[in-house]
Amino acid sequence: MDEPAYTVVSDSETTGEEKSSSAFPEIAIGIDIGTSQCSIAIWNGSQVELLKNTRNQKMMRSYVTFKDEVPSGGVSNQLSHEHEILSGAAIFNMKRLIGRVDTDPVVHASKSLPFLVQTLDIGVRPFIAALVNNVWRSTTPEEVLAIFLVELRAMAEMQLKRPIRNVVLTIPVSFSRFQLTRIERACAMAGLHVLRLMPEPTAVALLYAQQQQLIVHENMGSGSEKIALIFNMGAGYSDVALSATAGGVSQIKALAGSAIGGEDLLQNMMRHLLPDFESRFSNHGMNEIKSMGLLRVATQDAIHKLSTQTAVQIDVNLGNGSKVSKLVNREEFEEVNQKIFEKCENLIIQCLHDAKVEIDDITDVILVGGGSYIPKLRNLVKGICKKEELYNVINPLEAAVCGAALEGAVASGISDPFGNLDLLTIQVTPLGIGIRADGNNFVPIIPRNTTMPARKDLVFTTVRDNQIEALVTVYEGEGEKVEENHLLGYFKITGIPPAPKGVPEINVCIDIDASNVLRVLAGVILPGCPHPAIPVMEIRLPTVDDGHGWCAEALHRTYGSTIDLETVQKKI
Amino acid sequence: MMNKTKKLWKPFSDVVGRTLPYSTSRRFETYNPNNTSSHLSSSSQLQILNLCLPHCFSQNLIFSGKNFSSESAEKFNNSACWNCNAVPKATPFLFCECCRSVQPLHHSLDYFQIYGLDKNYEIEDENLERKYKDWQKKLHPDLVHSKSQREREYAAEQSARVIEAYRTLTNPLSRAIYILKLEGIDVNEEETVSDPELLTEIMEIREAVEDAADSKALNEILSPVQEKLIQWSNSFANAFRNQKFDEALNCTRRMTYYDRVNKEIMKKL
Ligand SMILES: [Zn+2]
Repeated sequence: MDEPAYTVVSDSETTGEEKSSSAFPEIAIGIDIGTSQCSIAIWNGSQVELLKNTRNQKMMRSYVTFKDEVPSGGVSNQLSHEHEILSGAAIFNMKRLIGRVDTDPVVHASKSLPFLVQTLDIGVRPFIAALVNNVWRSTTPEEVLAIFLVELRAMAEMQLKRPIRNVVLTIPVSFSRFQLTRIERACAMAGLHVLRLMPEPTAVALLYAQQQQLIVHENMGSGSEKIALIFNMGAGYSDVALSATAGGVSQIKALAGSAIGGEDLLQNMMRHLLPDFESRFSNHGMNEIKSMGLLRVATQDAIHKLSTQTAVQIDVNLGNGSKVSKLVNREEFEEVNQKIFEKCENLIIQCLHDAKVEIDDITDVILVGGGSYIPKLRNLVKGICKKEELYNVINPLEAAVCGAALEGAVASGISDPFGNLDLLTIQVTPLGIGIRADGNNFVPIIPRNTTMPARKDLVFTTVRDNQIEALVTVYEGEGEKVEENHLLGYFKITGIPPAPKGVPEINVCIDIDASNVLRVLAGVILPGCPHPAIPVMEIRLPTVDDGHGWCAEALHRTYGSTIDLETVQKKI
Repeated sequence: MMNKTKKLWKPFSDVVGRTLPYSTSRRFETYNPNNTSSHLSSSSQLQILNLCLPHCFSQNLIFSGKNFSSESAEKFNNSACWNCNAVPKATPFLFCECCRSVQPLHHSLDYFQIYGLDKNYEIEDENLERKYKDWQKKLHPDLVHSKSQREREYAAEQSARVIEAYRTLTNPLSRAIYILKLEGIDVNEEETVSDPELLTEIMEIREAVEDAADSKALNEILSPVQEKLIQWSNSFANAFRNQKFDEALNCTRRMTYYDRVNKEIMKKL
């Protein structure tokens, strides 16, 4: 059969937005791009259906190999052996790398992957390359993702026998808005239009809401509110959500997430088995790549086995007379990864705290993602939530993509005669958004877990007498210092009427509209004047591009603190 | 989310006019993150100050937005659906049950009316969340994706208003300030209490928070603070019921102090 040929359009900032105009509504497909696996699903008119590739797989490995002239991804590639992915010719874990600068610890942790991740540690995008015929060929996470998405799209179009344009994608909670723009760009390069980007656990919450609706319909009863705690651990990210569901409507109460996952468990375990594995691997020679690939496969396999066995024997010959031979038990695995499990625990506790939900009020605890098979994690989640059992009528690996497909149908305006699409998820902001003020501090204006759409403002003032300009630097995150947060953009307010410091009132308003578009509005007034002193500025964010890591530093170098802002200070 | 509509740039007036003028209550939700530092007194000052947004800025914006807004809700006939002309069967009329279209925003509707409540301070809020969800299921912008630009704007406005109303009504302090506002009494948030006993008490609580070693210690400080909040909320209810607005105003100021330390403790927990 002839596969339609698609080409990835160039990776440029100007991806023309075409209007989608069709006589009948096109149902958007749901895609769950996991760090290690990917799946795609669609509402087929009566239920959600996962699409399979030509090898009859619902779960496809997320990677693209550059071995031959034409790159090919995990959707279509007839890959027979895991080791080929680990030969250096394939790029994977792109979800961990996308939109990150080379000072990011997650990027640094990726240096021990078989392909090349090089950093200069100055806040620019890392150099990423695949080994093609003994040559390191550079690429970008966006390009890799786009190639992969093109394959996914072709597969779906062949099966559905129609063009695919609109998609709902699931994303990690901890993704910054800058990272979201990279995902959107990769989609645009693959000819896909992002209808929604859904935090992964909220997609699971939507599926849960639908299941609860169904129960209510069947019992003809009135559905009381159900509180669900959802924990999702994938290969790259761990996320938590608390949702309150009634009548098909889920209010997300709080979200929490972090870039920790199966990849960290794996690397910690590899380090445990071979303490110097990173230094052994640092020059990325052919033999090293091969031996690291062997170790990776053996370790991954052992971790899987430890979910059902209490101990596993690892025997792997790394070549050059070097070998690892060790009996590893489950306790050892848990101890090696103690910090990861502690972080998971903290995420859940933080989410419960932010949601202001008492543990006793939780109806169901839902554990999804590859990590849900790990006994330690299951016990940990059950322990915190004081539950004997976890919610078990959900497939932990398919829940997110099913939720995305449901959202795709709902957002496309599809209705179902049986009320199965009578669903709504009310989202919250996963990260706080604010500006730099009071020195190097991050001052949130919209705190995290605010229901969207949202709009809030805060007043700042000048730090110097007759200061006529002010720099507004917008960040997203939870850190107290700006450098711990993601830079989204910056602009200068000029023409502030000369006045003693602390007098001009600079109102910074942050608006997130119903389409999750972020705008910052800034205006200046002098006390006693009824009207803004200068025209109000409105900026749509994020405005930063790759290499933004050093923008903040450059701004600081150029302006010092001469055009800083402070929160308004008054006496008690 | 991240849905790119054709119009990347919405006129400023649309953006500003979309949401409600800031009720005073909203200001209480802004918080300052820097108060976990060791400079407790200065950081708590900051916190207070954030409450003192300047009188007119947002209102100004809203005001001008309203003037610019070409489709001001007030232009429409209040009593019939803009789309099918049906006469509403129930109030408040945010959504037409006949043609299932979202109605334009009417600023004359207050938050209590939106939730079908009498204008009393004490509300039985067990049904509020359900009503909130019922409204969202009709008004939420996510559900009107395929409808006209006009109706999508109505949905954005109505939904934001329902959220704001819910937020205001579920918080005892913001509800108190809001209900006073409906009586024509603006709570001047810059005004402070000159009761030295209260100020000393607050200072002592803050010191205790600073010294608290763990969450157990914090919880021990928290519960009397929350009791005080309830106590002053009850006093407010009494005063308001008896139309003693000066007394009610005094209660809101005290609640403001406790509410603030409550938030500080919650954030440290
Ligand atoms: Zn109508």
